[in-house]
Amino acid sequence: MKFDMDYIAHHNELTETNPYFKLFLTIFLLILTLALDNLYFDIFIFVVMSIVILAVAKINFRSYLKFLSIPMAFVVITCLFLIFFFGNGEVIYETGIFGIVVTTDSLHYGVYTFFRVVGCLPLLGFLALTTPIAKILHCLATLKVPRIVIEIALLMYNSIFIFLNEIDTMQKAQETRLGYHSYWNSFKSLGALASTIFLRSLDKSETLQHSLDSRGYTGELPIYEPQKRE
Amino acid sequence: MHIMEGYLPLEWCIVWFVVAIIFVAYGIYQIKKIVDETPESKALLAVSGAFMFILSSLKLPSVTGSCSHPCGNGLGAALFGPAVTAVLATIVLIFQALLLAHGGLTTLGANIVSMGIVGPVVAWIVYKAFTKAGISSTIAIFFAAFLGDLLTYVTTSFQLAFAFPAPTFSAALTNFLVIFAVTQIPLAVGEGILTVIIWDRLKAYKPKLLDKLGALAPNEA
Repeated sequence: MKFDMDYIAHHNELTETNPYFKLFLTIFLLILTLALDNLYFDIFIFVVMSIVILAVAKINFRSYLKFLSIPMAFVVITCLFLIFFFGNGEVIYETGIFGIVVTTDSLHYGVYTFFRVVGCLPLLGFLALTTPIAKILHCLATLKVPRIVIEIALLMYNSIFIFLNEIDTMQKAQETRLGYHSYWNSFKSLGALASTIFLRSLDKSETLQHSLDSRGYTGELPIYEPQKRE
Repeated sequence: MHIMEGYLPLEWCIVWFVVAIIFVAYGIYQIKKIVDETPESKALLAVSGAFMFILSSLKLPSVTGSCSHPCGNGLGAALFGPAVTAVLATIVLIFQALLLAHGGLTTLGANIVSMGIVGPVVAWIVYKAFTKAGISSTIAIFFAAFLGDLLTYVTTSFQLAFAFPAPTFSAALTNFLVIFAVTQIPLAVGEGILTVIIWDRLKAYKPKLLDKLGALAPNEA
């Protein structure tokens, strides 16, 4: 479905790289990018990280483009909005419609925000596309994030994929019965879908708890960490 | 709806992170207490979190660097209370950033405050007030979900206006609020209706569970 990112994270050249290194590099560079707030540095980061993602991690170009496209579409709209509706100061350009003008201030806001996002997105992409969630959670666990949070997150991660399969099946069943034919119908179908999923999830959680208990679960899922293949 | 990666300047990222961490830490403390009392609730919490994630991955685009979707935080707050919901929302937001490129890591703090703290707290207060007043829980859940959803967006407008106070803070706030009021009210009503449908089914099939969580109105229990 739409979880291509999870698949990519498990299948690229950097999957086996030390997750601590990737996590800290991402956080460090994110803070640096925000702190410098420099247009050239933003572009520099964008280029470097794109090269890392495409050439080093060998993620195919189309997936990367897909990852960038949705946030990029938003950021373009938003920054146009910032440029035209905000700010005071010297008027640079008059549109002549409803007195909407571009001013030095608003241009500054719009341009800086745009490039900040341009710089930060590939960084998020670097972490999200090369590191499986389970590894990130494992990192966080050794970094003293409370164990209960990690446990719940891991169980959650597993159940998400079970739900996705069920939703897919149910939605197809509803569609073949014209469940999304009209606006009100789709509301009813969506409600039925969501509540059925919730009820099923309750049953699932019971089963999950029983199976965990019967295998001696004490609040820790032991993870086997394979030796790195040289 | 989430503020995207890199959208906020550094100082505001830090401010919202600090606010979020205080509340989430309290939520974790609450969860620890619940799990110590009834260990079997761990799976329930995890599965409810997954449910929130699934609900919120059905997204619709809107302007201003964020997008709209049912957030499910009204339902979460009515079932588990706001503190626990804040922790679940935090995990959901991290997953959304890493699995869907939806939201971001630097803006995580701001998103937790709007979606995981203000929304659920409002929903919870509304829900408790309505049920205390003897109104049926179905009507209460509608307003809880509706207002929880709406207030999430109002909070985001405030956050954006703080970050971009141009020409003045109030002018920016009006701008952001107008955009969100226009795009959000129908979606918030939608979320309300959806939550009511889910709630009805829950009441019909799992009344004991709702009773155990203390989520039903006094006259329905």
